[in-house]
Amino acid sequence: MIKNKQTKLERHYATLGMMLIAPTVLVFCAVIVYPLVSAIYLSLFDIYTPTLQGEWVGLDNYRELLGKGEFWASLRTNLIWTVGTLSLQILFGIGMALVLHQNIWFRSLARSLILFPYFISTVVAVLVWRWLFNDLYGILNHLMMAAGLIDMPVDYLGSMPNAMISVILVGAWKYFPFVVIAVLARLQTIPDSLYEAARIDGAGPVARFFDITLPQLRDVLVVIIMLRAIWDFKEFDLIFLLTGGGPVTSTQTLPLLVYKEAFSLNNMGMAAAYAVAMMAVMLVFMILYIRKTGEKDA
Amino acid sequence: MIRRVLFNLMAWAIVLAVAFPLFWMVVTSLKPQSELFRRPPTILPEVTTFEHYWRLLSETNFLTYFQNSVVLSVVTTVVVVSIATLGAYSIVRFKYWGRESLAFLVLFTYLLPSVVLIIPLYLMLVGLGLSNTIFSLVIAYTTFALPYALWLLRSFMAGIPEDLESAALVDGASRMGAFRDVILPQLLPGIISTALFTFILSWNEYLYALVLVNSDNTRPLTTGVMNMLISSFNVEWSLLMAASVMMSVPLIIVFAFLQSYLTRGFGAGGVKG
Repeated sequence: MIKNKQTKLERHYATLGMMLIAPTVLVFCAVIVYPLVSAIYLSLFDIYTPTLQGEWVGLDNYRELLGKGEFWASLRTNLIWTVGTLSLQILFGIGMALVLHQNIWFRSLARSLILFPYFISTVVAVLVWRWLFNDLYGILNHLMMAAGLIDMPVDYLGSMPNAMISVILVGAWKYFPFVVIAVLARLQTIPDSLYEAARIDGAGPVARFFDITLPQLRDVLVVIIMLRAIWDFKEFDLIFLLTGGGPVTSTQTLPLLVYKEAFSLNNMGMAAAYAVAMMAVMLVFMILYIRKTGEKDA
Repeated sequence: MIRRVLFNLMAWAIVLAVAFPLFWMVVTSLKPQSELFRRPPTILPEVTTFEHYWRLLSETNFLTYFQNSVVLSVVTTVVVVSIATLGAYSIVRFKYWGRESLAFLVLFTYLLPSVVLIIPLYLMLVGLGLSNTIFSLVIAYTTFALPYALWLLRSFMAGIPEDLESAALVDGASRMGAFRDVILPQLLPGIISTALFTFILSWNEYLYALVLVNSDNTRPLTTGVMNMLISSFNVEWSLLMAASVMMSVPLIIVFAFLQSYLTRGFGAGGVKG
């Protein structure tokens, strides 16, 4: 009797739970699942953007994509950008977190200043950096010339490899605060006793970093690296607004290629194929990350 | 002692170097046009002027863009956070078929690149006759904001002790009554934090706005200000820097008064997962 009543209550709760999740599921299906499925479907068509008329071409888009140099070139550019900016973010982020973990003057002000680039709009970041990079009146060229580092103003965004280096650096500047905050939060939970013990054993600051801090940070670093790798890989705004993929196509990553194909070259079907191919590349990272978070939940 | 001072100076030198572009943005926006092209450049403006701000507000479409951005971000935030609060409560505290795979789907879409969704979304919104409306952007922004908010709120919700809810239920409260009286007050800091992040994400979004809206009346700030750069005959940097400062004002307010909520959100969703 009691058991029966409980299942009735449980059933009632399950219904309530489903009612609460219903809006989420509806919106998810309408704006995420349906577009995702139709992106895959569209990649099998040849569609002209202005008229949106198209015909079925099957796997032709993929055949063309894999045979064309542009996809592979963009993938390569994408990997260079991701690895470059990610390593700088991690290195600089850990360094900065260690500094901010110390008791420096006006620590909370310093933290806010460091955090700010992460929260401002990419549009603002790009405008500011394009002004700093300005070849004639930019402060960067002026400072570097005054310091005797260069004799002639440098073209930061219009030539290679400068453009790639600039994009990587601005990316690192914009996104390293994420690493700082995440690492800082973890640093605060490392028990002091570990350091005490190491000090008694005669370990210097460097040995303490490699023997205590780094192993303690390992787990959080793995998560940060995966998450940032995914986010950097799909970055569009920053690169598009800084260089537009140029000079020519030397900083054109996959998201920029998708955009160009769809809205400049007007090949929606081909663009969808590029997007799906890009997602396939990312899927490896995404599954790794989801696995990792799943482990931690369990 | 000297080592401590040296360490502090070094630390602050790095902090200031990181913050320099933002400092330079403010300085440039306050300089008269003539001082901008001086060599060597003046570090602090010799003459401080607010003419660029005045021109921005009176001669350009900036105010329209600003208004659009406010409407867009507020509506997106309210819609997304309301749906996600109910959704997160359901995912964390109820048991039913499909719950696990739903949580998996949320995480998956949280990582999904926008360029994959943008083509079908564009076709869908054009098909519905919604292109060039703020409403179309609200729909598009939901695609990244909802998974994000759900993921964040899910971990906030998981942090609330289950005993509290059980106690209320034992005392005879209904499930929704317990939600309103026990869960919501406990969740409030998490909701604020999620709302702030969602607002900032929508405020800063560029790609969807670029693709879905191309009339000046409905453009939000990101594409609007960028358009000022592209369409002007000779680039007026101080005007653009003034626009950048004004665009960052909401963020500065959040930073000044609500920063603890931001750091909390970081811990909850961004990293811990």
